[in-house]
Amino acid sequence: MERNRELANFLPVILLMVIGFASVYATRSAQISAASLSYGLLFVGLFLAVHLLLRLAAPHADPVMLPLAALLSAVGIMMIYRIDPVLAAAQTRWLMIGLGLFSLIVVFLRNYRRLDDYIYILGIIGVLLLILTIIFAKEINGARLWLHAGGFSIQPGEFSKVLITVFLAGYLNSNRELLSTSTWHIFGLPMPPLKYLGPLVTMWGMSFALLLLMNDLGTSMLFFGIFLAMTYVATGRLTYPIIGGLLFCGGAVLAYKLRATVKLRVDTWIDPWPDAMDSGYQIVQSLFAIGDGGLFGTGLGKGYLLLQNGSTIVPELETDFIFSAIAEELGLAGATALIILFMLFCYRGFKIAIDSDDGFSKLLAAGISAGFVLQTFVILGGVMKLIPLTGITLPFVSYGGSSIVANFGALALLLLISNRTNAEKTR
Amino acid sequence: MNKPVRNLFYVSVIMFASLILMLGYRQVIQASDLAENPQNTRKVFAQMRIERGLILGSDKAEFASNRKEGDLYYRDYPTGDLAPQVVGYNNITYGQVGLEHSQNKYLTGTADEVELVNLLDTVMGKEKKGADLKLTLDPKVQRTALGELQKLGKRGAVVVLDARTGAVVAMVSSPTYDPNQLEENWKVLNSDPGSPLLNRATQGLYTPGSTFKMITAAAALESGDYTSQSRFRDDKGRTDIFDGFTVNNYQKESFGEHTLEEAFSKSINTTFAQIGDKLGQGKLVEYMQKFGMYEKPPFELPSDEMSISGRYENGELLPTGDPMGRTQVVSMAFGQEQLLVTPLQMALVAQSIANDGRMMKPYVIDSIADYNGTIIKQASPDVWRTPIRPETARTEKEMMVKVVNEGTGRGAKTSKVQIAAKTGTAEVDGRGPNAWFVGFAPAESPRYVIAVVVEDSDAGGGISSPVARETLLAALGL
Repeated sequence: MERNRELANFLPVILLMVIGFASVYATRSAQISAASLSYGLLFVGLFLAVHLLLRLAAPHADPVMLPLAALLSAVGIMMIYRIDPVLAAAQTRWLMIGLGLFSLIVVFLRNYRRLDDYIYILGIIGVLLLILTIIFAKEINGARLWLHAGGFSIQPGEFSKVLITVFLAGYLNSNRELLSTSTWHIFGLPMPPLKYLGPLVTMWGMSFALLLLMNDLGTSMLFFGIFLAMTYVATGRLTYPIIGGLLFCGGAVLAYKLRATVKLRVDTWIDPWPDAMDSGYQIVQSLFAIGDGGLFGTGLGKGYLLLQNGSTIVPELETDFIFSAIAEELGLAGATALIILFMLFCYRGFKIAIDSDDGFSKLLAAGISAGFVLQTFVILGGVMKLIPLTGITLPFVSYGGSSIVANFGALALLLLISNRTNAEKTR
Repeated sequence: MNKPVRNLFYVSVIMFASLILMLGYRQVIQASDLAENPQNTRKVFAQMRIERGLILGSDKAEFASNRKEGDLYYRDYPTGDLAPQVVGYNNITYGQVGLEHSQNKYLTGTADEVELVNLLDTVMGKEKKGADLKLTLDPKVQRTALGELQKLGKRGAVVVLDARTGAVVAMVSSPTYDPNQLEENWKVLNSDPGSPLLNRATQGLYTPGSTFKMITAAAALESGDYTSQSRFRDDKGRTDIFDGFTVNNYQKESFGEHTLEEAFSKSINTTFAQIGDKLGQGKLVEYMQKFGMYEKPPFELPSDEMSISGRYENGELLPTGDPMGRTQVVSMAFGQEQLLVTPLQMALVAQSIANDGRMMKPYVIDSIADYNGTIIKQASPDVWRTPIRPETARTEKEMMVKVVNEGTGRGAKTSKVQIAAKTGTAEVDGRGPNAWFVGFAPAESPRYVIAVVVEDSDAGGGISSPVARETLLAALGL
């Protein structure tokens, strides 16, 4: 049965977690107190509680994804703990909230297909969140991603991503017949009737607006990528990703010409060295950190991550750049293992899509999984200078409340889809 | 709908694979390049876990010591701004310069001689420690020289050498800075037009002016065509060396009939112009090379913190064979014409005159001892080159005594000791001239050599003489 397999999968996660925390504690015992180790215990307790909840509410759900998410979060908390124990405490609180939302969804949205009836509302909320961000967000590092309210700051984009995926799943599921017909051709590519290209152009326009208004190549690439992946799944036609890809490239070139921030990001990507103390500082220091890791890393707690005053050498090390810290301390071996964990996670996600037997579920699972792939690729590719850098979190690993909460929400949906599929099979 | 999902997964695999490949490139193939990048402070950081060796003055005063914070060692420079251009700094943000840079292997205990001891100790469970440097710098002399320059409120440099060994007793560059406060002052230090970070003694390039006559006179005496008593005439304060080229004396002063010795002590340009014209470019350049110009001095500072003395054009050193016109050769003979020298270079010229024609290798590290106190390296005075014969040196020495007793160096005269010297006032475009004083004391049996340069000295050449006198007296303990 799935839940027993899940419990078995948790054992290595707990073991790795204990070893990790113990080694951080051992190397940095001068700076951190033993009491903070209790976060490790709390972490294990939380996931076991969620596991018990799944036994009751979604007994047939995929047995691999929750342990994988737990392992990724464990690696994240461990690194954050190593960087700053105070932040690790905060991250543990965010994790509690994230798992709380996860539990709520699992309990109250067991029949998640009801969401199909509310997709327009959800889609509008998703877009509104983005608009709010554009209007009210403070500019941090040239990009407008954060909303500040009271003592809080949230990244609405993380939630918007999930909501718009749900909307697209419903919308594309109802319209996929129409989008799949072709009445004319461009360069041998079959094209749907012009009026059905509308959503494609709208989505492109929205992504491009995001790019221009938020100054953020990564977020717009993420949204547009999810959209293209889902239209491709819905229609089975390569026409959409190909035309979409060309549109995106055109938009990116335009943005490069129009927006100084985008231009700076791209120029810094091409050659960060002349401005290594200024605009290139973050990526250059990230590369130094990654390079220092070598094959096996410096060992947890032994990397050169902090200055004497406790601030990180790479700015935003605990959030967007957490992978640089992992690559330095765990080396190529550890960092590759982490990438493979993400690959496994996405594999399970796509598998859930393939196994499910209705269009909405398939599109939703594929969309959420594609979102995880793209987000991981955008930030990992960014910090290792494979693609231009963009500020976005590494799902489950980075420090950040919005990211953790939204991603556990998305995970809950995936598990509900698999629960339903597997329950039907056993019936 | 399953086929597109599968394809999406394949695309994902390609994306993840490209991430892993890139990561492998960064962490394996590019790793050493990244580690060697000068902007990467990781190496300095790694070394901060090692207790660095101390840097001590000749009186065992600490120029550099350690302070432990957490598990890292930080450098303290108890002498502050006394000799940062020589001692250098070791800073996590700004890297290393000076002896902290060039002697890093000894200071961190990674030099071969120290490594073995450390290895044994590591096996025994002891912590790795660096070796201590004992310098030849005498803080008392250093402080006097720096104080004299600061009193003038001028930029400049002082080099004091042991006349017999070549040991650097003082090396001062003003304005100076406090290496304990780099973080606070970094921007100011880098934008300060006085360039406090620059070691003027070894990096500063100055027109030598009349001090170059030490080299011209040596070439003249050794050519066999001149003795110190060779006679010259100067009636108008200016001389037509050849058609259309006239050389003036300083302030067009006229000296009448005089000897080479007098021409030297009174710094008569017209006479040295005639000598230069006769010697020609070949002889002059030959002696410049004999005295160590056109070469980096064999000194312990990092190579990029030392300049080569010679003829320059637009900041580039000209090759020795670069063809010169007759007027250029003549002007060079009295120290103008694209010539640029470091104060250390001029100190070495005086040192070889003081030491019977033997130029000693300059050095500032007396000994290196591992932390058990065992000496692993001891300086042994070493002849670098022999530019002139002993009798030439003795003749020039007498000429230099006259400079102080009756000539342009009277400002340095003191009843306590006989000083010998050559002064110089070198014109600089757009600013006041540089005032030089290069000499040694006691003249009869020289112990210390000094080179002083004071920039922008509107008060004239005499401004550097008291600096030299006070510093020499401090060195001699008088």
